[in-house]
Amino acid sequence: MPRGMDLSRRSLLLAGAATMTMGRAWAATESKPVEMAFVLPLSGPWARDGLLEREGAEMAVDDVNKSGGIKALGGAKMKLIIADAGDTPEKAKDATQRVISQYPGLVAGAGCWLSSLTLAATEVSERAHLPWLTLSYADSITDRGFHYVFQTSPPGSTQARQTLPAVIAVAVAATGKKPATTMIITDNTAAPLSVVKPMVEGGLLKKAGVKLLAEEIFTPPLSDATPLAQKVRALRPDFLFQFTSNVPDDALMLETLTEMGLPRSVLPVVGNGAHIVTPELLKVAGKNIMDGVMTGVGNWPTKKAESLVERFKKRTGEPWMGQDSISAYGHVMIVKWALEKTKVANREKVNAAIHAMGTSTGPADYFPGKVLKFDANGRRSGAPLVIVQWQNGTPVTVGPPEFAVAKAIWPKKAG
Amino acid sequence: MSVGPLFLAFFQVLIAGLLVGAIYGLMCVGLGLIFGVMRVINFAQGDFLMLGMYFTFYVVSAFGVFSFLGPQAAPIAGALLAGPVLFAGGWILHRLLISRVTGTRAAAEREAGQAQLILTLGIALILENGALIVFGSTPTAVHTPLSWSAWMIPFFGGASSVLFVNKARAVACVVSVLIGAALYWFIGRTRLGKALRAAADNSEAALYMGIDVDRAHSVAFGIGTGITAIAGGLVATYYTFQPYVGFDFVIIMYAGVVLGGLGSILGAFWGGMTIGLVQQLATLVLPMQLQNAAIFVVFLLVVQLRPQGFFGRSAERV
Repeated sequence: MPRGMDLSRRSLLLAGAATMTMGRAWAATESKPVEMAFVLPLSGPWARDGLLEREGAEMAVDDVNKSGGIKALGGAKMKLIIADAGDTPEKAKDATQRVISQYPGLVAGAGCWLSSLTLAATEVSERAHLPWLTLSYADSITDRGFHYVFQTSPPGSTQARQTLPAVIAVAVAATGKKPATTMIITDNTAAPLSVVKPMVEGGLLKKAGVKLLAEEIFTPPLSDATPLAQKVRALRPDFLFQFTSNVPDDALMLETLTEMGLPRSVLPVVGNGAHIVTPELLKVAGKNIMDGVMTGVGNWPTKKAESLVERFKKRTGEPWMGQDSISAYGHVMIVKWALEKTKVANREKVNAAIHAMGTSTGPADYFPGKVLKFDANGRRSGAPLVIVQWQNGTPVTVGPPEFAVAKAIWPKKAG
Repeated sequence: MSVGPLFLAFFQVLIAGLLVGAIYGLMCVGLGLIFGVMRVINFAQGDFLMLGMYFTFYVVSAFGVFSFLGPQAAPIAGALLAGPVLFAGGWILHRLLISRVTGTRAAAEREAGQAQLILTLGIALILENGALIVFGSTPTAVHTPLSWSAWMIPFFGGASSVLFVNKARAVACVVSVLIGAALYWFIGRTRLGKALRAAADNSEAALYMGIDVDRAHSVAFGIGTGITAIAGGLVATYYTFQPYVGFDFVIIMYAGVVLGGLGSILGAFWGGMTIGLVQQLATLVLPMQLQNAAIFVVFLLVVQLRPQGFFGRSAERV
């Protein structure tokens, strides 16, 4: 045997070990899960909304993995990384920072439900060049010239523009006349203020011929709603914009209005956001308090997602699937779609793919509107506002007409 | 604008302030008792309030223990039951943990003051996060028609001029005043109450007089915990809560106790009442956003003009 071919026992063992290690390394590369982070408020007053988002995200990841994972990556599984954004922008920023540093392989992130938290989290994700999907409403999220943030809900200013005509149309259909006066009660978090600003400072109310009797801004959480309800009682607007942003404040405000002789059968209440159509409100406030409350939401399941809603209800025991859960489901599906396109788990490429997106199938099934695409700022192009109303203890879609499953109710006695 | 609506708004907000203030007063009494007797700054007091809320919720809404009393009385019974249960919890907590850094066992140790601060902060964190694990993050409430119904009091100025008195808050206010009065009587008239006062005034002298100071401290901690838990149960009848709710109230409790005078039970009640009134009446002249800022402006004024608080003593007890 030639000298060069002389194999000692030691070199054979080394070669064998090296081969085994290489095999493992190869296998690990191929089957390495693709990580996506969700930073959500899982403690504090917004925790329920965070939980609903988590349920949607978990279901989406399970669905992706059960259907063979990311096919373009050899069937790589998706892995969800969940972090608690807490109840302050500082906590949200810290949680995002921690997740990004602990999981350097992240391909995308999502969260944080409340606009004030999302604004803080995206400051961090932008620096890390991590594509970030959010359902938060504040215009400022996509007004800062960031390149790695995607807002799937219509922003506050668009919501303000779409809410007013929708509310007026409902009132005219029910009473035959246009409501002439309104009052705004809002908390001072970013999302409600981004809806209020174009209405008041942008002159939308004036243009619509609706007189603003008063605007009351408070810092959440409310300790007592009597002073606010007293002002509503004194001014008696034709309808009230109640832009609270969490379940405890929603319940307290609506209960106090009812207690002071202003139930929904007398005073129509229009809110903003999905927190006011969460199942908890039925438990903490009750059907009689909630029925009639109308709200504009950035997302609500349409006919395209009927089977998903049924599976979600069965899986989670939730009585319905609302904005928070379906948006989170959709965000995972957007990332999956981008990974299938890019064929590589690279956050820069995923970001570029989402920017170039323009699809009416796949992830588009989980958002209202026909085509799912984003503009240069990451704002979803043509995202419509969905109007949902509590009727018989359940939130139902009442507008726009192409999504409506029931007719909106407006008290005849109101303006 | 005529004077009628202004008067109506004033009296409506005044009623709200009195109702809320009485409940704040009861919370402050619980904290004031613990501080007055033991000189313990208890950061976990807000979390005892939270435990009282969840106890009432589970007893009334989840298990329906008092369902035979009907939806109006059951939440009040549940809140009252939270008192003895949390009294026992507070007693045990004091015996096992707090007594190691307070009272006669810790009197000789110079660091005992810092240790009790860290200990109660640690207890607060454990209770908050434990509650998050056990109860979940979903906001909940004790469902009762009292929370959205009101007694209507006719007010001068026409048929539409009516003052609304929320039933849940009114009942909570009456219960708070009764419990506050009962505690005042207990501290002033009973043998155990006198022992608590003696232990508060001079624990060493009390010891020489045969008073079991450590036992007195355990009783004071238990009563302080139990009273705050009752206040929590009462608040739960009209307020939606989650495991971190204690933080929203603990600042108010401390402000009330300092305002009333550290160590004074009566002062703590009036301190809480003052905070309730200022919080609500401020909305008549200030934007709603400054509601809580107004509390601290008044707080700073009182501390500046009368540092010992409404009912505090100007000289340190010896």
